[in-house]
Amino acid sequence: MKKLLVFTFLSAGVALVSCNDVRREQGRIYMPDMAYSRAFETYAERDSAKFTTDAGDISDKIFYNNQPVEGTIARGEEMPFPVAKDKVGDTANYAASKLVPNPITMLNTTDSTEAARLYLVNCGICHGPDMDGNGPLWKDGNGPFPSKPKDLLGDPIVSVMPEGQIFYSVTYGKNLMGSYASQLSRHQRWMVVHYIKTMQLAKKASAATPAKSDSTAAKGGAVKK
Amino acid sequence: MTHNRKIASKLTFGSICFISLLFFGGNLYAQNATNGEALFKANCTSCHSMETQLTGPALKGAYDRWKKDNKMLHSWIKNNQKVLASGNVYAVSLQHQFSSAGGMTVFDGILSEAQIDDIIAYLAIYKGPPPAVPGLTPNGEPEGDNTLLYGILTLVLAVVAFVLLQVNANLKKLADDKDGMHTEEPVSFWRNKAYIAFILVVVFLVGGYMTVEGAIGLGREEKFQPKQPIFYSHKVHAGVNQINCMYCHVGTYQGKQATIPSVNICMNCHMAIKEYKGTAKLYTAEGEEINGTAEIQKLYKYANYTPGQPWDAKTAQPIEWTRIHNLPDHVYFNHSQHVVAGKVQCQTCHGEITKMDEVYQFAPLSMGWCINCHRTTKVNFKDNGFYSIYERYQKDMDNHKMDSVTVENIGGTDCQKCHY
Repeated sequence: MKKLLVFTFLSAGVALVSCNDVRREQGRIYMPDMAYSRAFETYAERDSAKFTTDAGDISDKIFYNNQPVEGTIARGEEMPFPVAKDKVGDTANYAASKLVPNPITMLNTTDSTEAARLYLVNCGICHGPDMDGNGPLWKDGNGPFPSKPKDLLGDPIVSVMPEGQIFYSVTYGKNLMGSYASQLSRHQRWMVVHYIKTMQLAKKASAATPAKSDSTAAKGGAVKK
Repeated sequence: MTHNRKIASKLTFGSICFISLLFFGGNLYAQNATNGEALFKANCTSCHSMETQLTGPALKGAYDRWKKDNKMLHSWIKNNQKVLASGNVYAVSLQHQFSSAGGMTVFDGILSEAQIDDIIAYLAIYKGPPPAVPGLTPNGEPEGDNTLLYGILTLVLAVVAFVLLQVNANLKKLADDKDGMHTEEPVSFWRNKAYIAFILVVVFLVGGYMTVEGAIGLGREEKFQPKQPIFYSHKVHAGVNQINCMYCHVGTYQGKQATIPSVNICMNCHMAIKEYKGTAKLYTAEGEEINGTAEIQKLYKYANYTPGQPWDAKTAQPIEWTRIHNLPDHVYFNHSQHVVAGKVQCQTCHGEITKMDEVYQFAPLSMGWCINCHRTTKVNFKDNGFYSIYERYQKDMDNHKMDSVTVENIGGTDCQKCHY
């Protein structure tokens, strides 16, 4: 009978241990030489004895830093933005960016759908799908973001901002907004800027007629006060 | 009726709050301050919060800091450049402290004189945030798994059956002895041939099954759920806060890799979001509770960011996430091909990511799994110019000989599609 008890407890123990099914270990593979790439793969670690990320390193190591070669432009990409990022506390370049024109003057239907998609993915989260500055991260102040994103259609400054300056903000970031240069290519950024400008102009055009009655109503209100 | 009563009680509660606010304010500002609060939210919250320092300073107590000088504060909001030019000591010190912001917006022409006064009235009476209403805590009881119970039950039943068999054998011997029939001593169970044969068959079957399963599973990593350097919850980001997958996984539309976001993409939001205030509690797969704010602090360590200071992205260190989805080198997979041309949803292969605190590998990523999907998935054939070269299928579709084209039809199960 004693043996029986030992057997029962042992199997119960095995059952208990095997019950925890969170798999933290990767497991094994067969034929590692076929499974793991010999060529360099994205995100793979490089042997620091053979590679260097320092362009000035004159030893016989191979220089590679994941960046495109300086001075090269990818196919289909726009020319570099001529305005550099402002130094901390300076706004001269931010002001100068107003003069840079958008190289994209027209978007066909496919591109404009793509621009709208890029807006929704990258900008809509804060500035709202309707560009009213009320995206899911703000949610009338109930979202996690502590400051109100700009209302792209209604804000007195942003709604009339030249495209070059919008591009500056998207590229280098402005106030609490970060840089989107790593998420969107220059071409994509200009597409989104064009899309935003189109929406702003459309909003102005549609508001032009009823705006008159609005402003008179506002004046009437002010007089009554 | 109860519904109405609820609304009525809510209304009374609301009006009591409102009236008490009026009396609490206790001065002529009250009405102006309510206007001011709305104006503040519309015009100032992009850079200012009452409680925390954002692009500009936290404005709680700003009225006192300006020595309750309505006139000076008014001209500061209207045109801060003029006040700075006049050499006001406090204004200049503010300008130095927040130099990285590049100066406050000039509100002359954007806000009227009366509106500026309303905002000042709001600043003057602001005491603190309204007390938070304790919400219902969501019931986070995990569903129990019954496998263990069934296992123990089976084991107990097996032991009972075994004991009963032994008892039966002993009783039979007793009965036979009583009847005067001579029977041999019963063989103890570990020498009984029937038992040994039975156990051998069971061991062979179970062992064989486990060996085959193990061999097939070798190199497959379904349910692989490694601990990551930062407890990043996809449930909070993609689920609760509805951030699009492609916001962070930028490469999905462009190439083979979906790409893992670099630190600066995290910092797009986390420059401002410094603590986790969500209602959903965070749990590891083992059920351990996680402090979200501490995890954001870990990010700041990688980013080399001190809250309140300007951040230089160049000083950030990459976060070494553990890769979950691995395909062997001899298999080619391309994200953009599936997402852009195939219009496959992320969830089809990655499971309900929006509900995962810790991500695990949802699909087996085995060849059988790939092939099955290629056999059953219909291609969006008609509306995609890419497929116009398949003339015969186009004709068959037009003549209603075929009603749909699967991935297999266009070569989706050819060996060299994925192995080359």
